[in-house]
Amino acid sequence: MSITEKILCTKTHEYILKNDDSTYTVGLTDYAVEQLGDIVFLELPENGVSFSKGDSFAAIESVKAASEIYMPISGEVIDVNTALVEAPETLNEDVYENGWLIKIKATGDASEQDDLLEYSDYKEEVE
Amino acid sequence: MVKETFLHEKHIALGAKMVDFAGWHMPVQYSTIVEEHNTVRNSVGLFDVSHMGEVFVSGNDALDFLQKLVPQDISKLNYEKAVYCQLPNKKGGLIDDLIIYKMGINYYLIICNASRVDDDVNWMSVNSSGYDVTIDNQSHNYSLLAIQGPKADELLRTMGLDTQQDSFTIKSAKILDYKILVSRTGYTGEDGYELLVKNEIAPVLWDRILEYGEPFGIKPIGLGARDTLRLEAALHLYGNDLDEDTTPVEAGLSWSFAKDKKEDYNGKSVIMEQLANGGRKKLIAIKMLDKNIARHGYAVFFNGEKAGIVTSGCISPVLGCNIALAYVKNTKDICTGTVVQVMIREKLHDAEVVKKPFVNKNNKIRN
Repeated sequence: MSITEKILCTKTHEYILKNDDSTYTVGLTDYAVEQLGDIVFLELPENGVSFSKGDSFAAIESVKAASEIYMPISGEVIDVNTALVEAPETLNEDVYENGWLIKIKATGDASEQDDLLEYSDYKEEVE
Repeated sequence: MVKETFLHEKHIALGAKMVDFAGWHMPVQYSTIVEEHNTVRNSVGLFDVSHMGEVFVSGNDALDFLQKLVPQDISKLNYEKAVYCQLPNKKGGLIDDLIIYKMGINYYLIICNASRVDDDVNWMSVNSSGYDVTIDNQSHNYSLLAIQGPKADELLRTMGLDTQQDSFTIKSAKILDYKILVSRTGYTGEDGYELLVKNEIAPVLWDRILEYGEPFGIKPIGLGARDTLRLEAALHLYGNDLDEDTTPVEAGLSWSFAKDKKEDYNGKSVIMEQLANGGRKKLIAIKMLDKNIARHGYAVFFNGEKAGIVTSGCISPVLGCNIALAYVKNTKDICTGTVVQVMIREKLHDAEVVKKPFVNKNNKIRN
């Protein structure tokens, strides 16, 4: 099963992936990365910080523009991809394996995921 | 209604990402901005800049008329020469920046920014009363192809370019069998040419240039890299770094006009006064001291107080750091070497004031 079959996406181009230990990995979709172009800067939060669904938790810049990244669901940050901050261009090459942003412990209700889209529906929505 | 250049189909076929820019549907990138940028710095790139405006000015009073419009001394402009000019309003603020070419006796060509053609022509018309002059906006009939980079000259030689010409000159020339106007100018900080051609010729010439350019590693270049290239060269972008509230003195363009021009011109009193006493603000070049990028509209701080605003900013692929142009209050305390701060996402980030341009075509060394 490919990763895009397991993720749920927001209309603002973030995704969540449920891990075996019930934590979630949060990242950007390949479509978002392609639209941004050359990624040159990434700012991620620190471990232990909590965000609500819809909060801006990170900033990303491509050569073209600066963008905010929003929480798909509420959660507390338990892991940060610091290697990606050091080499943000990795996102352009490897968006899903090494291009994840943060891992979180969900703190909100399961209903927060109701408005998230399966990848195929998301693609239809954005293209 | 968004306009399309005569090369629009070429851009689509090349898989370009397209954007609306100044009323035109234009390619922003074909591959990646950084790759395209480096292609122009290291070999040669081809740009469609047909959205730019071409306005011909002729008539018995053409020279006197242009003398009234720009701070530059057009009487010193020789046949087939080009000069970088500004078009000030009566307060010295800039309606546009231009290149003026002398094409013949009482016959001039003005290249203007796409977003400003209508305003420019309108301003020229308003100013033309009492002058025996014809203002002929030919923008819709011409395409403009820019060939930029250290290999540009060699490439055009292999295509049979039959003229030898200096920087900032324009000549009628033949490339392959096409009779065109060739200007040795550009907006990248590199050597290069701009080919002014009738629309019908543009698509075939585009293809032939890419064909002949292949051994040189030519690539088509979009507006994205055009912006990073011009910013490394610290060239102003109208709408970002120049506007109707900014004078040529404030924009750091005093080098470009004659201080002793006798003729009166629009905005002269303000411009001469600022030349003597300084402007309200001044343009500085800054280099970020961390990985953050200063973008258009971000505030600049000095000594804990807001001192100005960033007007253009991006990464510099050549320098490997982030660069920007900003306007700050006109004080001697902010000069080369001064550390200022830029407010980025509610935090202050240090930036150092550096000399312009960021990248010099002859050495491309780190600033």
